[in-house]
Amino acid sequence: MRKPWYSIFYIKSPITKIGLGTLAVLAGIALVLFLMATENKRMEAQAASWDGRSIEKGASLFMANCSTCHGLDGKGLPAVAPALNSRYFFSQRIDDVGFSGTLKQYVGGTIHSGRPSKVSTQWVNIMPTWSNQVGGPLREDQIDHLVDFVLNWEEEAMAQTPEEDPWQFFQDALSKQLPYSPDEPGYDEKVQQAIAAAEAAGAVGYEIGGMAVEAPTEGEAGAPAEVRAPEDLFNSLGCVGCHNINADQTDDNKGPIAPNLGNLADHAGSRVEGEDAETYVHQSIVDPGAFVVPGYPNGVMPQNFADQMSEEEIQGLVKWLLSH
Amino acid sequence: MAVQPEVEKKGLWRSFTEGADDIFTRITAGISAGEFRRMLRGEPPGRPNPRLKPHSEAFLLHIKPTYYHESVTRFTHTFRLGILSTYLFFFETITGIFLMIWYTPSPNQAYTDMIALLSNVPYGQFMRDLHRLGAEMMVAIVTLHMVRTYLTGSYKPPRQFTWFTGVILLVVTLFLSFSGYLLPWDQLAFWAVTIGTSMPEAVPPKIVGETVNLLARGAPDIGANGLLRFYLLHVLFLPLILFLFFFVHYYKVVHFGISLPASEEEVGQDTANKVPASRRVYFLPDVLIDETAVMIAFTTLLILLVTFFFSAPLESIANPQSTPLHTVAPWYFYWLQGMLKIADKTFAGVILPGVLLVLLMAIPYLDPNPSRRVRDRRIAIISGVVAGVVMIILSWMGTPKYAAQAAPPVEVVQEMMPEEGAGIVREIGYEEIPNGVYDTRNNLPAMYPEEEYPGLHEILVEFEGHIDYWDKKDSDFNEAYGILTVVQEQPNLKRLDWEIHWIDAEGAEGSFQRSFWLHKDSLYWEEYGLKDFGYLMPTEEEQ
Repeated sequence: MRKPWYSIFYIKSPITKIGLGTLAVLAGIALVLFLMATENKRMEAQAASWDGRSIEKGASLFMANCSTCHGLDGKGLPAVAPALNSRYFFSQRIDDVGFSGTLKQYVGGTIHSGRPSKVSTQWVNIMPTWSNQVGGPLREDQIDHLVDFVLNWEEEAMAQTPEEDPWQFFQDALSKQLPYSPDEPGYDEKVQQAIAAAEAAGAVGYEIGGMAVEAPTEGEAGAPAEVRAPEDLFNSLGCVGCHNINADQTDDNKGPIAPNLGNLADHAGSRVEGEDAETYVHQSIVDPGAFVVPGYPNGVMPQNFADQMSEEEIQGLVKWLLSH
Repeated sequence: MAVQPEVEKKGLWRSFTEGADDIFTRITAGISAGEFRRMLRGEPPGRPNPRLKPHSEAFLLHIKPTYYHESVTRFTHTFRLGILSTYLFFFETITGIFLMIWYTPSPNQAYTDMIALLSNVPYGQFMRDLHRLGAEMMVAIVTLHMVRTYLTGSYKPPRQFTWFTGVILLVVTLFLSFSGYLLPWDQLAFWAVTIGTSMPEAVPPKIVGETVNLLARGAPDIGANGLLRFYLLHVLFLPLILFLFFFVHYYKVVHFGISLPASEEEVGQDTANKVPASRRVYFLPDVLIDETAVMIAFTTLLILLVTFFFSAPLESIANPQSTPLHTVAPWYFYWLQGMLKIADKTFAGVILPGVLLVLLMAIPYLDPNPSRRVRDRRIAIISGVVAGVVMIILSWMGTPKYAAQAAPPVEVVQEMMPEEGAGIVREIGYEEIPNGVYDTRNNLPAMYPEEEYPGLHEILVEFEGHIDYWDKKDSDFNEAYGILTVVQEQPNLKRLDWEIHWIDAEGAEGSFQRSFWLHKDSLYWEEYGLKDFGYLMPTEEEQ
């Protein structure tokens, strides 16, 4: 009888089988040894990989939840929220507030439970609680991702010169020493800026960069030499943090913190009787409490915009808002 | 035993060799060293056969037959599928115990444990990959074992009950594999099991379905309690059931003997237990050597696959609030998912699988044909092949390729960077994607030639290709183009903005935008395929 082709699988000899089995054992051992030699590198690569993935997820969460106040680049928005992508933040913030843990724990704790305070602050909004354990929308693992993302700015932030540092003066923690050496370019201006900000915030009796903070000096902020463009004002003064200029304010789509301004021109004239659109918008900027749109709390919008802009700039901003 | 008089009587050398032989015989449960040597040399046993003694002396050997019919020891008769199924059960138990050392069945801890296992435990990934591959292999091999039994007609009398227990073992194997699926607590696990456990919910009447579902999940939705239940099912209850039925099954196999090839006996006869002396192959040593060699070779194969070609997936942590696009069941349940797409849950998810299972168990009792020869079993063989083809078609329908498609732009981005898993862009990785704006209206593949930008070139070709494919296929998606913007967001983090514009059937413009981030160090991998050993290359600093 002719043997079928598959008879090659009929190994009869026990010695051949033992030989093949021994070869297989040796091959298996060789593979395991190969893995042993590469195992440390593999574990390192895996650890770095999971950190990287965490940062990727954090970036996505930051864009969705944090960037409206802290800025897409993490450099903060004036008067809205402080900068995180800042040398001051990475080198000195926790010392200033007297936090005894690490910066990572500080950021994690702040995101987790926010800054629950009734005390009026320099910021437009208080930092909300983010953890779902304290009424926020995020899970703990998502907060961990966010922390990883924020701390990943360290390299960029620590390379900043004082001029580049978007740090804004904190009222709650007066920095007695700036995180820069006096030799660095921009140091003196930064000290001056910090002192001016401290003075404007009403902080007296502290030292910044070795210089005493004096009583507020009225009107010394000085009118800017040139008129700034309305769009720049809208962004740099922090309006953008709460007001969405690209969305309409309708019954189904109300701005969460402040009214959307996309269709401001449509109803600005009818908000307050006897005021035309321009008067209404102007008044809302310089004296926000005069009329508060129903559904929003009073006192959220900063009261000091009149001091921060020249009259000409305010006029320009009003026109720009109504024509946008 | 007094040593001294013994030595005085026999001399030192003889008492030593006799003592050594005695110890050897005890260890081998009855085989002396001389007989062992004769075994290895392939010499026939003496009479009475001294190689039968271990079968009565040793517990582990007493369940094995002392000899087999020569025709059933041929590799192509059984393909050793039965012994491999059994071996895989023990293989899974051992690798599983290693994994249990680093695992806590709690939603807060399980996923973190998996990452720690992968990045902090030497051979951690190896064990996990072996366990996962072993589980998938076990499903495949148990199924093939059943197919083999069906094709050779070995389920026919007197082996009906052996088949019946075999079907139970198949079901338990499927459940074992599936219950292990949830334990990593990632998105893949969570949603596959959510879909899986929603099926018992469809059991009529409603109160029964809801109760079964509640018992399985421990709560209306899978959570801490569900994970614990699946863990206990996986490591304790199901292995116990499998163990029990395995012994029933194996007892029946030994009791009736492995059925001979149909050509060896007359129709209607069963002569498996009447082996003529000339055709006996003794377990010791031939079958033992054969089975051991097969198990060793198979283990090496698994190690080889795991070293180079297989990685157990681990997606993002389970998030009950967000279902990833294209959630799929494990591949061995694709057929069920396919059926669910064409029929309602009660029928396709409960009644039909139930009926199929009962039919499968009842095959030996329903098949009236006494012959096991292929020529006489045309109907049985053809219906078996048809059933196999239907399973393959249903499985294909269970994949996202069939009737589960989202809008074209979503699908295009999903192909490039899926919400979960790797995808081509992540596999090519950070280094090969320079910052810039890539607009498919320009001739991108020519602008970024393959020689200069191998990775980017491939991505852009794919991007264009997917857009063109949907442009041709979907009449609501015309004149489409895409823009990929790559921005450096942090020193080691890039943001990829995928933007797709199109004109719909009514002439209105539409656009879709989606951002993903890619970190320099993050590695992504596919479950099957050559592993990336890029991490073995020296880093830039080292060079």
